[in-house]
Amino acid sequence: MLALLLNKTKTFVGMNEVMVHGDLIDNVNRALQRPSNFLNQEMDELDEESISKRKQDLKDQVYDCIRTIKDPEKPSTLEDLEVVYEDGIQVKSLGGANSPSVIHVEFNPTVPHCSLATLIGLCMRIKLQRTLLQAIKVDITIKKGAHDTEDEINKQVNDKERVAAAMENPNLREMVENCIRECDD
Amino acid sequence: MKVLYVCPVEMAASGRLDLVDSLTGHRGRVWNVSWNPTGTVFASCGEDKTVRLWTKSSGQRTWMNKTVLTDGHQRTIREVAWSPCGNYLASASFDATTAIWDRKSGEFECNATLEGHENEVKSVCWAKSGNLLATCSRDKSVWVWETSEDDEYECAAVINAHSQDVKKVIWHPHDDILASSSYDNTIKLFREDISDNDWINCGTLASHESTVWGIAFDKTGTRLASCSDDKTVKIWQQYLPGNPEGVVTQSNEPTWKCVCTLSGYHSRVVYDIAWCHQTDLIATACGDDAIRVFKETPSSHKNQPEFELICTVHRAHTQDVNSVAWNPKEAGLLASAGDDSRVNLWQFKEETIIF
Amino acid sequence: MSHFSGILQLTDLDDFITPSQECIKPVKIDKSKSSGTGSKIKIQSDGSYVQLDEGGAIQPLQRVDISLTDCLACSGCITSAETVLITQQSQDEMMRIFNEKRKLIDSGQIAEAQFIVVSISMQPALSLAETFCIPPESALKKLTGYFKRLGADLVVDMNVADDFVLLEAQEEFIERYRMKADGSKSALPMLASSCPGWVCYAEKTHGSYILPYISTTKSPQQVMGSLVKNYLPQYLKDSNRPIYHVTVMPCYDKKLEASREDFFDSTTNTRDVDCVITAIELEQLILSERKNLAEEEEGELDWPFPGEKSTLHLTSSLGSGSGGYAHHIFLHAAKELFPDQQASLEFKALRNQDFQEVTLEKDGKVVLRFGIANGFRNIQNLVQKLKRNKCSYDYVEIMACPSGCLNGGAQIRPKDGTSPKEMISKLEALYRQLPLKAKPECNDAVNTLYDTLLGGRNSDKKKALLHTKYHALEKNSNALNIKW
Repeated sequence: MLALLLNKTKTFVGMNEVMVHGDLIDNVNRALQRPSNFLNQEMDELDEESISKRKQDLKDQVYDCIRTIKDPEKPSTLEDLEVVYEDGIQVKSLGGANSPSVIHVEFNPTVPHCSLATLIGLCMRIKLQRTLLQAIKVDITIKKGAHDTEDEINKQVNDKERVAAAMENPNLREMVENCIRECDD
Repeated sequence: MKVLYVCPVEMAASGRLDLVDSLTGHRGRVWNVSWNPTGTVFASCGEDKTVRLWTKSSGQRTWMNKTVLTDGHQRTIREVAWSPCGNYLASASFDATTAIWDRKSGEFECNATLEGHENEVKSVCWAKSGNLLATCSRDKSVWVWETSEDDEYECAAVINAHSQDVKKVIWHPHDDILASSSYDNTIKLFREDISDNDWINCGTLASHESTVWGIAFDKTGTRLASCSDDKTVKIWQQYLPGNPEGVVTQSNEPTWKCVCTLSGYHSRVVYDIAWCHQTDLIATACGDDAIRVFKETPSSHKNQPEFELICTVHRAHTQDVNSVAWNPKEAGLLASAGDDSRVNLWQFKEETIIF
Repeated sequence: MSHFSGILQLTDLDDFITPSQECIKPVKIDKSKSSGTGSKIKIQSDGSYVQLDEGGAIQPLQRVDISLTDCLACSGCITSAETVLITQQSQDEMMRIFNEKRKLIDSGQIAEAQFIVVSISMQPALSLAETFCIPPESALKKLTGYFKRLGADLVVDMNVADDFVLLEAQEEFIERYRMKADGSKSALPMLASSCPGWVCYAEKTHGSYILPYISTTKSPQQVMGSLVKNYLPQYLKDSNRPIYHVTVMPCYDKKLEASREDFFDSTTNTRDVDCVITAIELEQLILSERKNLAEEEEGELDWPFPGEKSTLHLTSSLGSGSGGYAHHIFLHAAKELFPDQQASLEFKALRNQDFQEVTLEKDGKVVLRFGIANGFRNIQNLVQKLKRNKCSYDYVEIMACPSGCLNGGAQIRPKDGTSPKEMISKLEALYRQLPLKAKPECNDAVNTLYDTLLGGRNSDKKKALLHTKYHALEKNSNALNIKW
């Protein structure tokens, strides 16, 4: 039993150092570029069909954004590795005059003690934050039962203060930039 | 140029917040706003690594950004706090330091930097006595600093009581009692042990189910309000040893008991809470972009108090609201800060609504 | 729950982790056998891990073990996980060695059995004496009896090592004082080096700012280690017999010290101290036999050193219960550097009882300023002053635990309602009642060993056996390993 505990994730994933330099987007400018008035008040008056179409559009937009994120250690994308999948995205609320839009993204780490799960969560959050034009609230969680420490990881990935501080660490930031950069091909 | 936008205000409750001013200037997320002790100036800080001081010229109704303090920190400034005398400012930063600014030269200048935390400093607060300062960090520790007359700051205690990231530290309104709230879901109270000048944990308030982001004492210091990632607000009541209610106390320390939980009001994480020492109103800053105001009902009982939501401003900011602060002198004047890079000022008005 | 001292409990120093979850020690993977990315990892029903390569061949994956030595060499946390501690530095491991020895002896293979030496320091002896209500000297002898019953070949006190440390440290101070006078900036203050929690903290978080100031003199534990592994083979007239060295210490951090790479001899593949056992662990061992230490037979302490056997085993000094460094070095420096001045040993408490200082004045000017800083908050203030070039001390005795080593992290906790503070004052009182030790200069064994074993007071061998080095640890910059 004790020996088992010593079994480390490291053993199998190896250590590929991330050395690629990414173009750093000025984090401060980002907030200014975002349109401040995004109120979508007519949403309350839409019929069901339009609502479900809008939901689908938003889902597609979110999925398109996260599927191309690269695994921090491998050249594969999260879609290739089946870490993210379309069914994992739920539009909880399209927002209205009195409530913000909320989407929920579920992901499935490759192994139940994957040491990179928090980094993958971080990459998804940062890329969504930058890509989505509207100020949409994003909740990111691990697929239930897919990780030994899912509660801890969920808590960390959804703590915006921890996320913000992580992105001010130059090494972490470089890694995230590299993982979320869109390739031209 | 200032953009005043119309915020839909829910009128059903018995009060309303009118937007007085919406201030731009910060680049990126604004984390915190803090009034000086006389209520004439407030400071704001955030992702752009600056502290901005805002004042209102006499006769003017708008607040102007008079001073921008730069070069104090390498990373985000998370919180800013005024000394009780109003002559010092402390800023806590993700760069692991706390900067002390004073205006001996006429303008605020950074004249001391408190180092020692291993990583992000999340909160800083001055004790009422003025010579104690508390800081907390993701490194799980709470530090008490003592200031001497020659402006030297020495570490008086390093308290390793929390098991996780400590989000907030506040001092009791009258006594040298310190409260901290944490990612470990608890609130802890500390006081100095006179026998060896060390600081001890004299109370743990556990009932929240997730990170406790904010805490605030009422004006008497016998009640504490807390807000959390679990979307609730809780009110805690102090019971002294030998209290008539018969609440059990241990080792001659007061017990703090949760006497009220406000759930169902907030739809996302509640980032900050402010308890007005003039009007007794409680304001909350929420991740659902709203500011809410709660008031204790007139018939409320000390041991089972009731609070009602008397005002909600949806879309108070266009993104998460991070901070709320009541003006200490001007009743009902509230400042708020949000991810939308704005600082908003609100005036609370009580009203009797007839439907 | 962590066992290490408070100083190691800040983030990244001790995170109460289990290695499988958060350890960031990089591991080299031999990739020659498979093609890297094309393979998949599978978990077998028995919990073992295998790798499937593209051709479908199954290859079992190896487990990685983490030792305390790895923890020390890494800028990340120090694990307190039992899984790590248990592998080397534990009562279980010590008992395993004793049992193994007994088996070999029972089967007549005496020559192959390890020669087991136990060195007992003063503080845990006092802790056990207080806990079992026995006079200190008797407690030490009963402890000796206990270890002899288990199969120890030699049981010794630490006086010889303590005296070596005091002599080396006082010489080092005079040397540094003169270097300072010659303009060296990093010569003073000299900071005590015998607390491994403090040394570890300095290496991991303050690196080059602080390390030059830390005394190069080894701690008593490691001097004892040098003596046992380098002198005893001569004494035993058998250089091939493996020696297993156990020390009895007041804190868990000493386990870290014994695990340092610097105290590992790669040619013989042994450590100067093989196993550190603490007062708390000893209490558990004794109680697990359903015994009270008071019932144990007293044993005679051994004297493998040259010269006449010392009859005083537990002694006190005028100074602290952490070794009394500041007092001793202050008196020596005053006599050596300012022979005309009358030095009095009046330590004044400053901010709190755990921060004290003493000064020597000449013509109204302070010429020597010595301090004692115990506990993390006082260490912190000192470190910050040093960083800002505002430290006015010439020497500081630094211990990570509040109240110093008598209150070490592995001293037995008080029971039946006694408060920790009362416990410390009881141990302090016991310490003050011990007979005063003689001047280390008068220790014949030490003087003889300088001439014989060490080849004089300026030899390279002396440097190697009595001094050590410190290493700043680079902050981890691999994004995959950063905790955020």
